[in-house]
Amino acid sequence: MLLSIEPDGPVPIYQQIRDRIVEAIAGGRQPAGSALPSTRQLAVDLGVNFHTVNKGYDLLRQEGLLRLGRKSGAVVRRDADSGPPDPGWAQDWAGRLRTLLAEAAAQGLPAAEIVRECQAAIAEFAFPDAVADGVNGSGSPL
Amino acid sequence: MNAGSLSGTLTVLVVGALMCVAPATGRPALQFGVRVPRDRLGAPVIRKERRAYYWRTAAVVICCTAAALAIDSNGWVTRIILLPEFAANLVCFLAARRKITAVKNADHWFAGQRQTVVADTSWRTDPPRFPVRWLVPALAVVAATVVVGALRYPGLPAHLVTGSGRRLSKTAVSVLVVAGQLYITTLCSGLMLIVYRSRPDIEAADAAASTLRYRRFLAAYSRAVLTVAALADTTLLLVGLREWQVYAPAGPGRALLALPVAAGVLLLSTVALRTGQGGSKLNGNVRGIGRAAGCDRDDDRFWKAGLVYVNRDDPSVMAAARFGAGWTLNLGNPAAWLIIGGIFAAWAGFIVIGVLAGI
Repeated sequence: MLLSIEPDGPVPIYQQIRDRIVEAIAGGRQPAGSALPSTRQLAVDLGVNFHTVNKGYDLLRQEGLLRLGRKSGAVVRRDADSGPPDPGWAQDWAGRLRTLLAEAAAQGLPAAEIVRECQAAIAEFAFPDAVADGVNGSGSPL
Repeated sequence: MNAGSLSGTLTVLVVGALMCVAPATGRPALQFGVRVPRDRLGAPVIRKERRAYYWRTAAVVICCTAAALAIDSNGWVTRIILLPEFAANLVCFLAARRKITAVKNADHWFAGQRQTVVADTSWRTDPPRFPVRWLVPALAVVAATVVVGALRYPGLPAHLVTGSGRRLSKTAVSVLVVAGQLYITTLCSGLMLIVYRSRPDIEAADAAASTLRYRRFLAAYSRAVLTVAALADTTLLLVGLREWQVYAPAGPGRALLALPVAAGVLLLSTVALRTGQGGSKLNGNVRGIGRAAGCDRDDDRFWKAGLVYVNRDDPSVMAAARFGAGWTLNLGNPAAWLIIGGIFAAWAGFIVIGVLAGI
């Protein structure tokens, strides 16, 4: 997996690390059970403080996507094939999505373009077959 | 011309020539230690300064080699010329760097560019293996030296007389030869081990392919470094054999002692020129993996004079060198100072033993 960050960008580095790993899991490049580098190793490779990587990994652990162990290191805990998310998670996510879509609408992005962007992003994710068929077969679920 | 003068003149010539061709081994995106975005690689100032550097350093090599030939008296005198030669080449490097930096800053080369740092996690989950087997020749030479020394030692007089008539303790000479070999072998293998654990030198815009190229570069370069260690140990073995009166080289034949080291320098230079820094001259395109958006981060502020890396926020002990091929220590990391301290402490130990032995 290639993990790309912008050290001088406006988004905090730990957030960028978290976001890239979530994208890799969704894209099937980092499936459940696969290992990630240790915090120290990833800190060396990115040239950032290891506390920064630790913070990003801890976010993923809190979200249930990563398992951190002394012996096993950092391992991806779940992916799209691991079944439905924990109860209540979808509601929280829908709230955040609403805010994100509202940003696009407030900035004047046409609804058709917002839908197109969403479809393009979904096309990059490795959904289980049944879900992917649902998206492609019945049009847009959005 | 005596053997000392010959080897001294050749050292001046080879060191100067290597510094002259050093820009040819570097990454295209790093010109004289200055980070350059891809769309500026063909900038006129870069072409002009590269040309000027080659001409200037070639003139330095010619002048210094001519001076070494003219002196033709003593090996140590000719080797002293290395100092002004090195200083003159450094001035040429800094002049080129200063001019490229001035244009870069004036034209805002990185303005509007998306600067990224990329890590390839496969480097850690599927790490390259240190070539332990390539350490065997160096260890075999050390073992052979110990065996020959142990066999010769009892039959030698308490003090050995060198070619210049000085009397040296046979214990000190024997210890210095073997300790020198162990020092070289440990230094080369230890530093390469650190490099294997360090960050790979990859390009953000072509991360997957450049990781592949770096793997091949590291494999080739580490084998070359361990071979150089074996060759340097061989030179010390030859010195030991001479001091233990196994053979007595005479005339120009004394220069043969330096032949293994010279072969090692030639080998390492050839590998560096063929692979380029970080494998930049190797083919290693990865099909099916798109290039990342963005360019390498402009990190010039962490490089003093384009040569010395000081970044306190970077936990890496070693980083890829910006000029020529190889690696350099991150002086912003306390562990780097421990390594430097260890290297110099060992040197100090050798000097103390040498002084006590009257060398």
